[in-house]
Amino acid sequence: MTRYTSWLWAIVPILGFAAALVLGAVATPPAALAQEPLTIGGAMSLTGRYSEPAGRMADGRTFAMEEINARGGLLGRPVKLVMRDDRSDPSTAVKLYERLLTEENVDLCLAPYSSPITEAVASITERYKCPIVADGAATRSIWEKGRKYIFGLVGPSEDYLRGAVEIAAKQGYKRIAIINEDSLFSKAAAAGAESYARQHGMEVVLREEYPRTATDFRPLLLKIKALNADVIAGGSYFVDAAAITRQMKELNITPKLWAATVGPGLPRFTEDLGPLAEYVLGSTQWEPVPALGYPGIKEYIERFEKRFGYKPNYHAAQGTAAMLILEEAVKRAGTLDREAVRAQLTQLDMTTHYGRFKVDETGFNSGKGLLLFQIIKGERRLVWPDESREVQPIVPFPPWDKRPSK
Amino acid sequence: MTRSMVERTPGWVYALYLAIALAGLGVPLSLAGEGFVRWLAQTRSIATFDVTLQVLAGGILQGGLYAVIAMGLTMIFGVMRIINVAHGEFLMMGAYAAFIFFMWLLPRELHSLFTLNIGMAILGVGVFLLLCLPLMFLFGMGVQRLVLNPVVGGPELTPLLITFGLSLILINASISIFSSDFRAIPYLSGALVVGPLALGYPQVVSFIVSAAITGSVFAFLKFSRLGKAVRATAQNAEVALVCGINVERIYLYTFGLGAALAATGGVLTSIQLPFFPEIGAIYILRSFAIIILGGRGNYLGALVGGIILGVIEGLISFFIPMGSRLQELAAYTLMVLLLLVRPRGLLGGIADE
Repeated sequence: MTRYTSWLWAIVPILGFAAALVLGAVATPPAALAQEPLTIGGAMSLTGRYSEPAGRMADGRTFAMEEINARGGLLGRPVKLVMRDDRSDPSTAVKLYERLLTEENVDLCLAPYSSPITEAVASITERYKCPIVADGAATRSIWEKGRKYIFGLVGPSEDYLRGAVEIAAKQGYKRIAIINEDSLFSKAAAAGAESYARQHGMEVVLREEYPRTATDFRPLLLKIKALNADVIAGGSYFVDAAAITRQMKELNITPKLWAATVGPGLPRFTEDLGPLAEYVLGSTQWEPVPALGYPGIKEYIERFEKRFGYKPNYHAAQGTAAMLILEEAVKRAGTLDREAVRAQLTQLDMTTHYGRFKVDETGFNSGKGLLLFQIIKGERRLVWPDESREVQPIVPFPPWDKRPSK
Repeated sequence: MTRSMVERTPGWVYALYLAIALAGLGVPLSLAGEGFVRWLAQTRSIATFDVTLQVLAGGILQGGLYAVIAMGLTMIFGVMRIINVAHGEFLMMGAYAAFIFFMWLLPRELHSLFTLNIGMAILGVGVFLLLCLPLMFLFGMGVQRLVLNPVVGGPELTPLLITFGLSLILINASISIFSSDFRAIPYLSGALVVGPLALGYPQVVSFIVSAAITGSVFAFLKFSRLGKAVRATAQNAEVALVCGINVERIYLYTFGLGAALAATGGVLTSIQLPFFPEIGAIYILRSFAIIILGGRGNYLGALVGGIILGVIEGLISFFIPMGSRLQELAAYTLMVLLLLVRPRGLLGGIADE
């Protein structure tokens, strides 16, 4: 055996590490400097488990920022968005808000994405008295803690799966399995589904939670199959909803109806899953359907699609709406004084492309209802409630082997 | 010396452990469902022969994957007496290597070729492994040469801390390159239906490839000259040195092979499930449980332990309410119980002499 030369081995990891550093540096754009901009800051889950919905919401906000700046800015100053990546982690988000509010001194605040992160962050924005319009949180309990500086925009988590349960009940399905990620929003959505199911006399054959890091749902799906559930309702985000759908196919399990929160509403769900996404029902706060009849909705959809190359989904629409509402409140207050802005938000009654914003005494936008869609030929088509319905839902789902391949 | 420890511990201590373990399982049980009776009724209704068979089959398929991963860890431990905490991150590197290959490098047309049928799917993974494993082998050797070699044979804590640091570096490097997004590789979907069993294609491919690699590693250790030298070094490094084996070189190869096995696990994970930079933590925990179960440094033990853990996890998430949240608990509980009752592991560890 020959002797090795020791320096040669040193090269391998060093090269790897250098490559990592270079790539990392290239991926981080330099911060742009604007002249005396009005800063609106917050954390957003730009990477991590929630990055799909949060990324759409970030696009929606960017769209609104550009619109506002094109109108001449806010209080005569250009608006600058400061969105820091919290990596879908509540404790990171809390640290980011501390820094934004104490060191970087942003003028106004934005909410983060997702109920669990909003719940964590709300305590910070409350302490610094910075009002936020929570465009990414739907769980009512966040508003039941006497907070004064957080305003709701979206319909309640508990109603997300209501439409799915009602369609199932109408079809006479009796057995429902309810699964959810064990975090704030998903729990509330599942709890809502359970109570609606009981109201309709359905039997909840399974109610199970899985951890936030779960990716393998096969044993859980087998259990659901063994329990003979007609309906599967999932309080989910993107990663889990996609993995569950894929693994249903792997295990050859077809429920009569499978409805999930958040995931199916994202453009990437149909892109990633392709034909597997077909028939899946999803809940939504809003769809890019002009027939919903909100003022400016048609123009909004067109302009957004032109700017970002895809039709806005509800997360994007919420991101835009929250910015517009904040803009209006600041305009009416005529100042950046946070107390004055807060006072305006409490009494504001405004209808945007997204619908009406008028909060109740807790700060929750309690008038907002949910919609349900089904993915049909790769498109999201509204199926519930009746007054917004575009097509009749296709239930029961055809079994996997009866579907055209590819 | 294990015997004397068993004799010194009175029986009631074990009774206490058992009671604690049962209580630990009982609390989630009673919290989760509407009580034990409901659970029993449910279990009776779902535990048909077909479904139980399906759960067992799923567990075995999963266990094959665990075995490949644990084998790398147990080999490194057996030969070098190093607990490689960065093993899970080597796995993560394998998964991202597959991601780069299938999503960035491979032309779209070729990609759809590999999702055509199961034969092509296995071929695709095979081709990629042929590219990836030598690279990981080199990487492993580089790490061994550069950071671990100076401390092998010293206090056990030093290499442990070094690999821990390495694992943090790798996780953060991967976050800065790939972000902490969940990634997935669109791979052959669908199921192989055999009688009452539906086995997902990705899982079947993963099992076949694991079995092939495990088999080759066994054959290598058993029959080849180098493999025998590896085993000799594991048994006693000094005697091996006296017999003319270049122990330092064996260390190098072992670490390289260990890293390549971890990366295999990563590639096979990536075709089944979504992955993210911190995914290593999920598998390193299970790997520790497996090598303690099978016996530290025992290769066959890794295989047996892997399959046992896979099956137990499947059974737990199937039969116990809220079982999805108890899977990791299963691995830990198994590990702790075995350390108490049979510290050498089921098949006995090479490292216990």
